[in-house]
Amino acid sequence: MPTTYDAIVVGAGHNGLTCAAYLAKAGRKVLVLERRASIGGATASEEIYPGFTFSSCSYVVSLLRPQIIRDLELSKHGLEIMPLDWTFSPFEDGSSLLRGPDPEMNRRNIARFSRRDAERYPLFGQAMSELGRMMKPIIESPAPEPSKLTPSTLLELLRLGRRFKGMGEEWLSANLKMMTMSAVDFLSEWFESERLIGPMSVSGIIGTFLGIRSPGTAYVLLHHYMGEIDGSFRAWGFQKGGTGAVAMAIARAARAHGVEIKTDAPVDKVLMTNGQARGVVLVNGDEYHAKAVVSGADPHRTFLGLVGEERLEPEFAKQIKRFKMRGSSGKVNLALDSLPVFPGLDGASHHAMRADITIAPNIDFLERAYDDAKYGRFSREPFMDCVIPSLSDPSVAPPGKHVMSIFVQYAPYNLKEGAADWENQREAFGDAVIDTLARFSPGIKDRILHRHVLTPWDLEQTYGLTEGNIFHGELSLEQLAFMRPAAGWARYRTPVDKLWLCGSGAHPGGGIMAAPGQLCARTMLQARAV
Amino acid sequence: MSRAIVIGAGHNGLVVGALLARAGRAVTIVEQRGEVGGLCAPRALHPGYTVPGVLHDTTGVRRAVTDALGLSRFGLSFESEPPSVLAAHSEHRGVVLHAEAKRSRDELERLRAGDGDGYLAWRGFLARIRGFAAGVLSRKPPLMKPDSLAELLSLARTAIGLRRLGKPDMLELMRVAPMCAADWLQESFRDPLPAAALAAPAAIGACLGPWSAGTAANLLLYECVRGPEVKGGPAALVRALHEAFQAARGEILLESRVTQIRLERGAVAGVELEGGRFLEAPLVVASCDPKSALLGLLEPGSLPLDVEEQVVSLRARGTTAKLELALDGRIEFRGREGERHARAVVADHLDDIERAFDAAKYRQCSQRPHLEVSVPSVDDPSLAPTGKDVVSILAHAAPHDIEGGWSAAARERFAGAVVDALERVAPGTRAKIVARELLTPADLEQRYGLSGGHIHHGEHALDQLLFMRPTQKLARYATPIAGLYLGGSGSHPGGGVTCQPGALAAAAILES
Repeated sequence: MPTTYDAIVVGAGHNGLTCAAYLAKAGRKVLVLERRASIGGATASEEIYPGFTFSSCSYVVSLLRPQIIRDLELSKHGLEIMPLDWTFSPFEDGSSLLRGPDPEMNRRNIARFSRRDAERYPLFGQAMSELGRMMKPIIESPAPEPSKLTPSTLLELLRLGRRFKGMGEEWLSANLKMMTMSAVDFLSEWFESERLIGPMSVSGIIGTFLGIRSPGTAYVLLHHYMGEIDGSFRAWGFQKGGTGAVAMAIARAARAHGVEIKTDAPVDKVLMTNGQARGVVLVNGDEYHAKAVVSGADPHRTFLGLVGEERLEPEFAKQIKRFKMRGSSGKVNLALDSLPVFPGLDGASHHAMRADITIAPNIDFLERAYDDAKYGRFSREPFMDCVIPSLSDPSVAPPGKHVMSIFVQYAPYNLKEGAADWENQREAFGDAVIDTLARFSPGIKDRILHRHVLTPWDLEQTYGLTEGNIFHGELSLEQLAFMRPAAGWARYRTPVDKLWLCGSGAHPGGGIMAAPGQLCARTMLQARAV
Repeated sequence: MSRAIVIGAGHNGLVVGALLARAGRAVTIVEQRGEVGGLCAPRALHPGYTVPGVLHDTTGVRRAVTDALGLSRFGLSFESEPPSVLAAHSEHRGVVLHAEAKRSRDELERLRAGDGDGYLAWRGFLARIRGFAAGVLSRKPPLMKPDSLAELLSLARTAIGLRRLGKPDMLELMRVAPMCAADWLQESFRDPLPAAALAAPAAIGACLGPWSAGTAANLLLYECVRGPEVKGGPAALVRALHEAFQAARGEILLESRVTQIRLERGAVAGVELEGGRFLEAPLVVASCDPKSALLGLLEPGSLPLDVEEQVVSLRARGTTAKLELALDGRIEFRGREGERHARAVVADHLDDIERAFDAAKYRQCSQRPHLEVSVPSVDDPSLAPTGKDVVSILAHAAPHDIEGGWSAAARERFAGAVVDALERVAPGTRAKIVARELLTPADLEQRYGLSGGHIHHGEHALDQLLFMRPTQKLARYATPIAGLYLGGSGSHPGGGVTCQPGALAAAAILES
């Protein structure tokens, strides 16, 4: 007779672990089952070449909710985030733009391209932080459900409404514009220089299958301004030891509350009786029973895989099938013999190298990168977001050597030749990345000791992310809030009784935010589901 | 009764003018061109050949407006059903899309199994939301924060209307509106052709391709007001409006360009015409585009700074050109010899439309443009000599701000590309051309005074529709300047030949 748990969580990514930790903290008996040999999911750090530790997938930490850090005492369990608050954007003519927490330096640097933009830059930051603060309650609570007008949802809407009450129609329309505009159009209302608009606009497209001129990207821009570390707004950071250590910290917290975590335990199916989930069966046939099953996997994998289409209502299955996953990005991780150089760096190089290095020189460059992807090719000249974590955290590389993590967009999962053709195009994609990077950092090719290329195909094969989508589903307007992952099922509950969804495919979405995991646990506890 | 001046004698200007005149105002419409009708005015193309207006699609004309003006007394009548559209293809005979979906089902099923039923379902959804959507589009846009009981009721009416669609359709509408047209259509169609043909209206006047989010809203906007065409097309509409206006004793000054809207103590005093003539009036309705009106005709500094900034930010990047052809014979589409088709869309695949727009992003005109073809001589043979056709094409994308300017060479190149595209779906057309006229967005700006050469007076995009059209502070037809109103396509519900912005502007004026 197998042990019966209060809850079984499928997947030891940061959301699954967070959900498990919260449930256990409330006294529930929880088991986490992880398919891979290591925990962390896409929040993993792996020593792929001896001495070099790569944060293979997600590479920076920003959106992790401070409340979760406090509730789970993550600092005690090893969470240690080093700030990453500089952005460095090199251009092909050897010039560059460095922005950071020093307003005077920002003004000076931006003024080299536009005096007017330099004046407006701090105002923009204020406006965005203000909008971000207002949006916070939305990501900190379950999505309002407009189609069910029960007293409790009315109360929630009222509470949200009260927050917006003091704000005039102007503020609301600014917000609506933000929701519906493109990053470029939105930024162009503020700034004139492409050297500023280009690098700033990319926050609007990271992880999406959208171009910087696509409506809806201005909103994603805001999403990235909502990052918060230790209460200081819109800061980014590295986790010491790589982002995998974030998952480790959450896992330690979870274990401290009594959570049992099993790795190498791939779940095959959710066990169901009379339409109710009652446990899971592993690929090896082992069964585990529980009062509730919580899936940290993405909506496709959860419903079409673990549950199976044949056990779903046809209408719901249709909704899940058309929930768009299309991954659009890849990762190239480099082990470097020495630090790369960027020409034209002045005395500020110390900051520049520790910065988020954004290869996004102008609007047309980014738009062309997107055009390739639209028609099923990887970008010949991709947008890149690079970091060198070994500068802040020497533990991830041998002495004097470095690791460079390059987030690359666009790499569409669905190649014209089919997704499986990534096997043939992986190295060509890696070459395109390095060739483009070399135009901004001459000599980089000679510094490369190892190159590790992750395509969306690999993200799917290795990490189980359907179509390689790092956010468990595109962050497009029709897939957010009460539509995520399906209209009427955005509150972690699913049409399968006693099956819950706690991954990034649930509101409020992806990133190392852990909010879906936390909100799912809270909802379950409130509903006395466990 | 004091005088009201309407700037522009396009269809919306005529509607405002006629409605105000019928309400007893003394109205003068001031038109810079030598004729009424604006973008709906017919033009002589070649001896024996006449083309309808730049805007040739009258399927959006709102019956409530034409009824209110009693236009049937002035000869206006409608066809019995919405027109069918030929989805032309470069390799086969394409497919005819009827508004009555059942009639297209079998042909679509033959194209690809499942697409016929997809079309039935797609049209079915549109039919169910049509009443609600048409309601929203025929009322002034709701205020987000209602400031009076009437406003609250109007907002509640919209909310209740949405709720009454029933949960599945309500959620579906909320899901679809922010989507891209391509994703939405591909859910219903597996063959690329019907999706491409139906996506065409989504991209018009938007400066976006069908893969851009928000284009589904544009498509909904178009489909939900689409009805039968006006008999005789835009020219007949303009003729009836003109007569109705005159019957209400309205006055039209042609070849009179307004150079300034003059203010006194912050309120409208009248307009100044080229040549120095001043027309006094406490009420001015600008049916020209908002940028021209508010940035071009007002003394700088007249508007509050925040309003002015919004108008400056208003996007109106024209990407649509018009090519008119006079043919020595009839146009015959591939595989459809002997058939007559008044409307056709030319794009094999959604990606063809997207690619056409890609060019515009880089300030180039498309080498393989996407076409919307109208053959007005099918319904009105008087437009061309017997047995011959006049063909009127809206072609995308041709950016207003083309790199290097619209030189003779650039014009020739684009006109050639349009003819090539047409030749692919209607072989033999090129050899029949006896006359040709290209209107680029630059020409449209110069001839019709359209900012950015934009036929909709401002792009249709999610942030420039409804209570944000043309901008949040100007969405209710009134402006911060006492006596100055907007009443053209730049206002809710937007561009195309609907007559609704003019009617709503008149209602706003008469209410106050």
